[in-house]
Amino acid sequence: MEEQMKKWLEPFSTTDGKPSTLATMQEQVKEWIDQDKIDVFLGYKMVQGHPLPHFFTKNNLDEVDELIGGQARYSLEKIATKIAAEKPAIKIGLMVRDCNQRALNVLYVWNQLNPENVETINLNCCPSKLKKHADCSYLEPEKAAVYKKEVGIDNNMDVEDAEVFDMEQRFKRWMYEFSKCIKCYGCRDICPVCFCKECSLEHPELIATGTLPPENPIFHLVRAVHMGGRCIDCGLCEDACPVDIPLRLLYRKVNATVEDEFGYETGTHADQSPFNLLGDEVTLEPKPL
Amino acid sequence: MDYKIIPSVCSYCGTGCGVLFQVMDGKLTDTLPMKTHPVNEGKLCIKGWNLHEHVVSDKRLTTPLIKKNGEFQDATWDEAIQTAAEKLKGIVSAHGPDSVGVLASAKITNEENYLTQKFARAVIGTNNVDHCARL
Repeated sequence: MEEQMKKWLEPFSTTDGKPSTLATMQEQVKEWIDQDKIDVFLGYKMVQGHPLPHFFTKNNLDEVDELIGGQARYSLEKIATKIAAEKPAIKIGLMVRDCNQRALNVLYVWNQLNPENVETINLNCCPSKLKKHADCSYLEPEKAAVYKKEVGIDNNMDVEDAEVFDMEQRFKRWMYEFSKCIKCYGCRDICPVCFCKECSLEHPELIATGTLPPENPIFHLVRAVHMGGRCIDCGLCEDACPVDIPLRLLYRKVNATVEDEFGYETGTHADQSPFNLLGDEVTLEPKPL
Repeated sequence: MDYKIIPSVCSYCGTGCGVLFQVMDGKLTDTLPMKTHPVNEGKLCIKGWNLHEHVVSDKRLTTPLIKKNGEFQDATWDEAIQTAAEKLKGIVSAHGPDSVGVLASAKITNEENYLTQKFARAVIGTNNVDHCARL
């Protein structure tokens, strides 16, 4: 535990042996707040022994000295979106890892956040195939147990591996995974790019209500379809799932289809999504009454 | 402009999941699972995810109610407690203490729950005590 705490407090050690850049980041945040470049900074602070999201403003400027990277990954951009919805003009600073940045790009595309009102400080991210070096080991996958391997889908599989099963097997295995669902909506609630006011998952005419597990596979497939061109593969959904459904793998497959069909790599840039029907301006001529 | 994240423990059942309350300008707006909490490790059930709703709900009672002539009417605490005491007394004397059951709550403290069972056993005289979190 002590080792882990140490790691949380100093997540900034760089590969080239340079000293911790934590102090530099704290200075940067203070400067931004002091110069009114931002109204609030969303970072992490140790509270009651837990690295928790924390808001830094002019009123608690001294606390910036306690700003840490925090190895526990929360969706700070989702919190920012909710603040911006209440106060559209507010200038927000954020501590971001790669996944947070990808989420921000999607939120810019869908007009949930205004990039002009957002400043970011980058932080080393979790290990992935793309980025070998990383400090955050939070997404270190757990090994699938024997029963899950036999009848379900191993969360650590690649899309290709999961497609080795024949159709019947594949359907059976996914249905086993979906059958565990307790309909907590955690996957949706934690998702940084889920922001709709009305959610299809709660629509009684689309998905039957009143039973557990929810109507399957439709419940999970509706969510999967909605993740096309939205999911930034941060893994927070799978992380929040109390029953270990391999959601990340499912959405990866959906996004692979989006990439194949439209050449759109979700979250890598803030360019328009092929699914966004709305432009910036009205191009239709108004009809005479 | 005032934003806060407040760590707490879910009050719905006896599991004790760690939650974070998101408070915006003094108003409770959201609940998040606490990622580093040893009990729930960043996971919650549907009740936990919506924990803030029973605090901010319009349906939340802000005053005791007494049913008079078939309708609930606002009452003071003194009136409400007096009415409850009289009715309980009447039931116990007419049908005996075991005609009463006491349900304790996950939303109150350990000490209050202790008092609740003490009330059931010592005042009413029954062992009919249970708890909503005994899932």
